[in-house]
Formats: sequence, structure tokens, C-alpha cells
Amino acid sequence: MKIVVCIKQVPNTDTVKIDPKTNNLVRSNVEGIINSFDRNAIEAALELRQQAGGTITLLSMGPDSYITSLRDGLAMGADSAILLSSRKFGGADTLATAYVLSEAIKKIGDVDLILFGRQSVDADTGQVGPIVAEDLQLPQVTFAESLELQDNNQLTGHRLLDNVVQEVKVKLPAVITVRSEMNSPRYETPLNIQKSFEKEITIWSENELAVDPTQIGQAGSPTVVKRIFSPEKAGRQTQMLPNNAKDAVAQLLADLNN
Amino acid sequence: MTNDKTAEQNMLHRMIVDFTTNELAPLDMKIDQLGDYPDGLFQKVIDNGLLGMTLPRQYGGAGFDYVATAQAINAMAFGNASMAVTLEGHFKTLEQLLKYGQPELLEKYLPTATKRIFAFSQTESSGGSNPKGISTRAVKQGDNWVITGDKIMITNGGLAQVYCVLAKTEDDQMAVFLVDQDMPGFSFGKREDFIGLRGTPVGEIVMDHIKVPGYHLLGSIGQGLEIGNNAHDDARVLMGAVLAGIMQHELKIAVDYAKQRKALDTPLYELQTIQEKITDIAIAKQNTELLYQHGAELKVAGEPYSKVAAMAKSYGSRSAVSSGDKALQVLAGYGYSREYPIEHLIRDARAMEIAEGTVEKMNTEISLKEVNK
Repeated sequence: MKIVVCIKQVPNTDTVKIDPKTNNLVRSNVEGIINSFDRNAIEAALELRQQAGGTITLLSMGPDSYITSLRDGLAMGADSAILLSSRKFGGADTLATAYVLSEAIKKIGDVDLILFGRQSVDADTGQVGPIVAEDLQLPQVTFAESLELQDNNQLTGHRLLDNVVQEVKVKLPAVITVRSEMNSPRYETPLNIQKSFEKEITIWSENELAVDPTQIGQAGSPTVVKRIFSPEKAGRQTQMLPNNAKDAVAQLLADLNN
Repeated sequence: MTNDKTAEQNMLHRMIVDFTTNELAPLDMKIDQLGDYPDGLFQKVIDNGLLGMTLPRQYGGAGFDYVATAQAINAMAFGNASMAVTLEGHFKTLEQLLKYGQPELLEKYLPTATKRIFAFSQTESSGGSNPKGISTRAVKQGDNWVITGDKIMITNGGLAQVYCVLAKTEDDQMAVFLVDQDMPGFSFGKREDFIGLRGTPVGEIVMDHIKVPGYHLLGSIGQGLEIGNNAHDDARVLMGAVLAGIMQHELKIAVDYAKQRKALDTPLYELQTIQEKITDIAIAKQNTELLYQHGAELKVAGEPYSKVAAMAKSYGSRSAVSSGDKALQVLAGYGYSREYPIEHLIRDARAMEIAEGTVEKMNTEISLKEVNK
């Protein structure tokens, strides 16, 4: 089975400090780490590889500093890693990011399964996986909390949504986004850490990919962020009904009719 | 002396921090209360390849050097000093095998060192700092040696499966031999009930006419004390790292408490008497870090490191005990309570004023090195 796991490097929030004067996050010198949900996706890939054999390729788009996270993923046990890196990819929103990832996956070729973390912990959109599925015209299963390989052509699993668990079946190739409930990602072992530095990380720019220049980077990003805010929580009101069943039902019906 | 880490060291450090945060630190108090590692915990250490951290790649290990290893041990000790000392005991033993072991012995045993703990044992009931007074005997029989004796207070004794033991030959020369728990004549004795580092097993082995092949001799006959001293040096560097980790833990507890607790309306950290205690702990921690890192760097560079290793443990152990006392005073009644870990950190640190050479012995060694310059 040929598996691609798309990963993103995010700031290590454990080391982010807050500027006491401005109350803003101090982002300089912040260590970059693999997005935590992507570690679950890598673990899912490792378990599937153990079951079905095959290879795991890590794929990421970002500056050279993202190599640190790709090496982390290699140290978990992935076979190879590709970094999509170019100034022209800079400023990409989820649409342009997914487009470049999709073109890279096409170039890798014959991929059976593409795994993502359910979302990144810094941007929280959860959009890139689904857009890649659309770009590649592949079926997608988002928010998967379990996966089981039925044969080499089909996966079954469960999607965990807010109040619902869905049992799903999907034919490969497919795109899956993985929830943290699916597994506990393994640690990189000291030996695998050393081995990860012996593996070469391939770097592709727009020159290696058949990308349309109008669909990459800032030019290919229609998203405009106007403001970032926490949505107001919808208030809930509690109404006490009369203390006998007949009056309570009457009151409830009256309220519902209103 | 630098604190720069390579990318590999950084990743190892982060892995150890993650492992310690998730697997060890939450059990720190439980390990002390149990007086042992909870079931399955040590297996996680093995499964995650930590025993092979220093072992060369050719034997299946990761081949990290002593600088990276000491930093990893330091990070682990911040969460749990017992497990850090268990690894220290294993790593210092492997160092002696790599330095003095014969090729046949290394080929046979080192590939198993990623799954089995190795231990170094010198101490007998006649005393730990008096190796010439030992009674364990090695008698030559053809190409073999027959080892008979009783070793006590072995770090990882009982948990370890392979032991390098100091013995005397018939002509009273000191030598070190490797024995395996699976050999006929090998048995375990009692486990010590020590007041600190209660997760780390410290126990006794009994050797009743254990026959070992000639290649189980480390180095040569007469080199036993040198190997024992070298093992002490290697242990002391890593113990310095453990002690700096304990002090980091003490410092964090004191600082966290001083930030959230008020005396009348004044936060504790604004009181000069509290500031002095926090400052003392911070300076001692930093000094110990510099000492153990310098010791590790000298060893990796092939320079003499015995004195600096002794300094790291002598200064580090005394400082970690006194820093624990200062942290306890910051927390006052809570510090004196077993609900907080400070009292066990003091007991843990106290062990290292004794193990691998008492403070008094180390200070003698340090002073003689200064006098005989």
C-alpha cells in the first residue's frame, strides 16, 4: 500500500511566551513541531503499513525549517519525505495549499491512501484534506476515529462527529482525516532519530510540479481574513416549570406553541 | 564548553522530554511510594529503545555520544530521578565493555544490551570505597575463570541481567569479569530498602562458582581498579546530569509556589528572603549543568574528565540536597508534606552524596588532583 501523509509544522505552544506588555504571543524563536493531529495520521499510516506492507511518504509545504518536522515523522518510522518549498508558494490559503499538495500527490503517482490530521492546531480550518480530495476527485472520510483495512481496496471505520458516530466504508484510493481518538502516536526512538538523518528529504518547487502559477501562493488564495475572534457562546436559558405534571405539560405546550 | 546541540541531539532531547512528560513524571510520586517501577513502565523504556541510546550502531544501538546522553538523562531526571539513575547505571557499564571488552565478548553480549540491563558491581559488605578489601575470587581453570563471591548495593541489582564484577585473582590482582544471570551458580540476594531513588532497584547478587570463558575478562588481569575507577567517572558525569535535573524540579516547585502564594497581600516571590532561596537554587542548578556538560564534553573529546566528573557529583549532590531544603522552606508546611514531591527529591539527591563514591572520597580525589598538579 502506498500511503502519503500530509503534515504541517506548527508553533510549539508549550514554548510560546506571552509579551507582558502587549499580551501578544511572542513568535520569534518559537520551536516548530508536527501538528499534533498529523502525528495521529502518521501513526495510523504506520499501523496500516504494518498490516498491509507498503511505503509511507510524508508530504509538507513550507519553508526549509519544516524539515525538522519531516525528520520527526521519519523518526517515527515513515520511509521518505518530500518538502514543497518555494517563495512562490508563500502566502497560500487552504485552497492554494491543497492545490500544490494535490499536484505533488499526482507526481508521486499510484497513491492508495492520503492521510491528514483532522485540522491544524494553529489555523484550525480542517479544510486542506477535503479540498485535496476534491482536487484529486477521490472519496473522503473526515474526522475518522477508527480505520480498518478490509482488503487492499477498501477501508472501514468510524467518523466521530459532534453528537453522532457514523460507520463508513470507503474504496481506495481515498483521503482520510484522522482524529486524535484513533491512536496514541509512538515516540521517535533514539535509533530511529539517527536513521532519520540518514534519509534524504526531497525538495520540490514549482519547477518540479505541473502547477498553474495563478493557483499557487498569494495569487491562488482568494481567502481574505478580515478579523479573528472567538464566536459568542449562545446563551442557554433555564425555565422552571410548575411542580405538578398537569400544569407543567400545559405550560410547556403553551411555550412551545409560542 | 557549549550548550549547542546538533539537530539529532535536539530531537533526542525532545523525545526524552515527551517520554518523561507523558510516561514518567505522572508516576513520579507513585514510584516513590511503591518503592519500585509500576508494572509495564520499564518495558516502555525498553520498547522505546532507550537502553540502546549510547550503544554503537553496529550492535543495534543509536550511538549517541555522552554529551547527548547526559542531556537526555538530565531531561529525564526532571520528571523522575529513579529511572534516570537506572539508565545511568546501564550506560556506565556499557562504556566499560566498549573500552575494555574483548571482541568476542562484545559480539556476544552487546547486541542484547538494547533489551537487557547491564550493571557494574564492586561493593561488598567490606565496603564500597575500599575495593582492595573485596573477597570475590576469580580462579583460573584452563581457559575459564571460576567466580565466587557476594556483591551488594548494586545499582539495578535484580533488574539487570548482566553484571560486570570486580574480583581478586589467586595472586591478589584485581580484575573485572562479565557474568550473566542465566549462568549456573548465579542467584539474586536481597533488595535494599533505601530512603531515596526508591524506583531504582539496588540489590545483591551471589556468585557460587560461576564458570565464565576467558574472554569474559575485561581488559587484563591487574586492570580491575582502573576499570572500576573509569566506571565511577562515567557514572559521576551522568549523576551530575541527574542532580541538575532534580534541582530543576526543585526550582520549578519553589517558583510556581512563590508566584501563586501570598504572605498577607505580598506575593512570596517579592519577598527578599524567598528571592534569596530561589536564586541559590538557580545558581546551583546552573553550576551543576555546566559541570556535567563539561565533563561529558571532555570525555567525548578524549581529554581527562575524572576531576570534573567528581566535581559534578560532589557539588551537585550537596547542592541538590540543600536546594531541596530551601525549596521546602519556600513551601513551608506544604513542603514538609508528603503530598508534595520536595521531600522525596531531597531523599533522591541524598543518595548521590554516597553512591559512586562518597562526597568525602570525591573531595579527596579532587583535592589530590589540585595538590599534585
